[in-house]
Amino acid sequence: MNTIDNIRNIGISAHIDSGKTTLTERILYYTKRIFAIHEVRGKDGVGATMDSMELERERGITIASAATYCEWKGHRINIIDTPGHVDFTIEVERALRVMDGAVLILCAVGGVQSQSITVDRQMNRYEVPRIAFINKCDRSGANPRRVVRQLREKLNHNPVLLQLPIGLENQCKGVVDLVSMKAFYFEGRSGDEIRTDEIPADMRDQAGAAREALLDAASMYSDDLMEAILEDKVTEPLIRDAVRSGTISRELTPVFVGSAYKNIGVQPLLDAINSYLPSPLDVQNTALDLDQDERPVPLETDARKPVVALAFKLEVTPYGQLTYLRIYQGAIQKGADLMIIRTGKKIKVGRLVRMHADQMEDLTTAQAGDIVALFGIDCSSGDTFTDGTLHYSMSSMFVPEPVISLTISPQDNKSQDNMSKALNRFTREDPTFKSYVDSESGETIISGMGELHLDVYVERMKREFNADVTTGMPQVAYREAITRQAVFDYIHKKQTGGSGQFGRVAGFMAPSSEGTYEFINEIKGGAIPTEFVPAVDKGFRSCLEKGLLVRFPVLGMNITVNDGKAHSVDSSDMAFFQAAVGAFKQAYMKAKPVILEPIMKVTVEGPSEFQGNVMGAINQRRGIITSSIEDGAFTTIEAEVPLAEMFGYATTLRSLTQGKAEFTMEFSRYAKVPESLSEELKTTLREKSRGDKK
Amino acid sequence: MIPFSSVSPLKILEKSSQGALGAGNLGVLIARAGVGKTACLIHIAFDKIFSQEKLVHVALEEGPEKVMSYYSVIYYDLLKALGITDDYEYRMRIERNRMILAYLNQSFDLDRLRNNLKNLAEGLQFTPDALIVDGLDFEKTDRKVFEGLKDIAQEAETEIWLSALSHRHITEVNDHGIPYPCSQIDDLFSLIVQLKAEPSGIFLSLLKDHDQPGFPDTHVRLDPNTFLAMV
Repeated sequence: MNTIDNIRNIGISAHIDSGKTTLTERILYYTKRIFAIHEVRGKDGVGATMDSMELERERGITIASAATYCEWKGHRINIIDTPGHVDFTIEVERALRVMDGAVLILCAVGGVQSQSITVDRQMNRYEVPRIAFINKCDRSGANPRRVVRQLREKLNHNPVLLQLPIGLENQCKGVVDLVSMKAFYFEGRSGDEIRTDEIPADMRDQAGAAREALLDAASMYSDDLMEAILEDKVTEPLIRDAVRSGTISRELTPVFVGSAYKNIGVQPLLDAINSYLPSPLDVQNTALDLDQDERPVPLETDARKPVVALAFKLEVTPYGQLTYLRIYQGAIQKGADLMIIRTGKKIKVGRLVRMHADQMEDLTTAQAGDIVALFGIDCSSGDTFTDGTLHYSMSSMFVPEPVISLTISPQDNKSQDNMSKALNRFTREDPTFKSYVDSESGETIISGMGELHLDVYVERMKREFNADVTTGMPQVAYREAITRQAVFDYIHKKQTGGSGQFGRVAGFMAPSSEGTYEFINEIKGGAIPTEFVPAVDKGFRSCLEKGLLVRFPVLGMNITVNDGKAHSVDSSDMAFFQAAVGAFKQAYMKAKPVILEPIMKVTVEGPSEFQGNVMGAINQRRGIITSSIEDGAFTTIEAEVPLAEMFGYATTLRSLTQGKAEFTMEFSRYAKVPESLSEELKTTLREKSRGDKK
Repeated sequence: MIPFSSVSPLKILEKSSQGALGAGNLGVLIARAGVGKTACLIHIAFDKIFSQEKLVHVALEEGPEKVMSYYSVIYYDLLKALGITDDYEYRMRIERNRMILAYLNQSFDLDRLRNNLKNLAEGLQFTPDALIVDGLDFEKTDRKVFEGLKDIAQEAETEIWLSALSHRHITEVNDHGIPYPCSQIDDLFSLIVQLKAEPSGIFLSLLKDHDQPGFPDTHVRLDPNTFLAMV
């Protein structure tokens, strides 16, 4: 039972509203992890088990990826539930990182929608093998064959049906299994009783043809099956082995059908997870050896090797911080010591648990390949744990830069405390969410990946942490940069009784083509004594935090100091620090600073008929379209658009395309704000800055 | 701006009767696999882009990412060859004047291309002076498609450059000296250029020059690494 071979770490990933949470709920019910089924938006008010956060229950969507496990026919299945919304990409990416395989749920009516395309691309990036489940076959307009076609045309999969639905829409009764050539019906109150029967007479020809297609496709991955077909000696295990091998090599996507809501086809899907998705032994994972210049090293799914584990998810519970871990190598025992590689800190494993949504089971040991959780460990999401003998880090996960920020203020003292707790928690959970206090205005600023991303955290703050907060308008993260060389020669002199302050700093500042800060020391003859040079560097560096043009950070420059003067008594670190600050102020405006704005790489996906509308709208937003990709009936438009122009774009896009197109955006680079807008922006930002200071 | 013509493979056209392909016309580069059709097409593209003409690159085999990476490799070779250090203006011209249209998984057809060009014109006021069509399989493409492309070139008042793959084992040449796979459709093309790999470099020769015979024996030699013309 406990061999690694029998573990399946899988994700359930799909477009929002294709029934992911409903399917998960059914899986937990049939595997006896829960004893009643609650609907996502059910009338009983209990909500589905995987949506552990109150907010998720209310909105009927899954925000955070909770991990849960169940057992099915001798296999242990860890399910990592992944969110389906664009703004939560980091959560999806993290979940994809730790899963070995996935079930791609598609709606029999809606088919392959643009979010499915995004998620599918991410899965390709992480090389996750998948099987597809065409859900909602009971809905009016269900057409699984069309969805299979879309899998091929839009996602470039090589799909093959392993089942056929018996009846569609309100006639949907069961499934025909094309491996055993039997019909399955799901009876009893919650579909618990499976009745096996002959294939209905009117479906025999159709099933025969579909089986032929299955054998054709599967035989590409097994010579044994190919031979057996020629000799007419095909067996079920031969088909399964061939399909498994095609699936694991990501060359074949087996497709299953059913309706989770109507309890049709869920148990066979569980069988398929066991039969076709990889065990941890089938997947090669690598870590980076920090002692060898981050050289990639393969990890072995072997309990006897030293431990390497990744914290992929943190959650706050009433009993403390819960850290979800994927163990890649070795085994973890309760009471053992582990080291957090990032901080070098040692921790003791207090409670080791296996999670089932928001309930848990205590363990004494867990081994490579498993997904478990630790209690009360102080760490961040994405941290690597080892036993201390290895200095490995799991390859860094792609973390995009936050691009939008807003001010947030508590309404009272109690809310102030709660807000701090919430921010502390969120920043550990989500590396794309940041918070800091602006030193000038004293306001708390939160920043993240998009409007909705920040909205959800503000909501969570209110609900989970009881923090009553108000937020300001979203603000773009502008930068400043100088465009020409300017010289400085500044003397800082202060004599107000007691020991004085004296320092002279001379040299020039110049633009940096790489956007980095560089301090070039060309001081000759000890004009500035060596011990004060670091203070000069520090002084300039401190000025970069807020430029003098519109008080946004300065995106790098080269500072060359070539002369100066010190006083034997009055010179100090402080004096030279101040001299550098003075020198910066003296030269900065002469160096013709400009405002830079974040430019986002925007990708819009939608049906081709909307290409013209989408292009026009991007053009109006100062966007530059770089390419347009036609693929089947879909068009993907790639563009670079200033972030400042992207507010409200989701709404515009929805109305332009009848809600059929979706977009993603990520930071691309900083670019100079056009002259025509620069003056107006300077005035607005200066006024805002004055307002902040008051 | 530094003239690129001194190093561009387009030098071959200096010898042609009109010095260029011209709006409403089709041109084709014929070569065997791996000789450098795409690289030469991209040089044609840069020539347009840097002279502030609008260019649409139609890719039928690769996605835009791959196409852009081809462009950037050739771009940096050009900068190096010409000793350009401050390339801001050049990058701006690429940004403003180049559009990539990719058609994946057999999505290409003439109506779609027409419609895409219409959207570019209406939505972005982007009306191309030239189109590069890379990756069209001449062997599987009906004559009607080439006629349609010619119509598009005339309707949109643009010139269209294509690339055609020839094979070592097919030596068929028509009466005008035009090789397979263009031997049956050469009447539709105004310029036909052949690329040949020889041990001493890659040679371009003009096989058809508008209404006049080409200069099959006059060559421009290209550096096999950068595809820049060698003096």
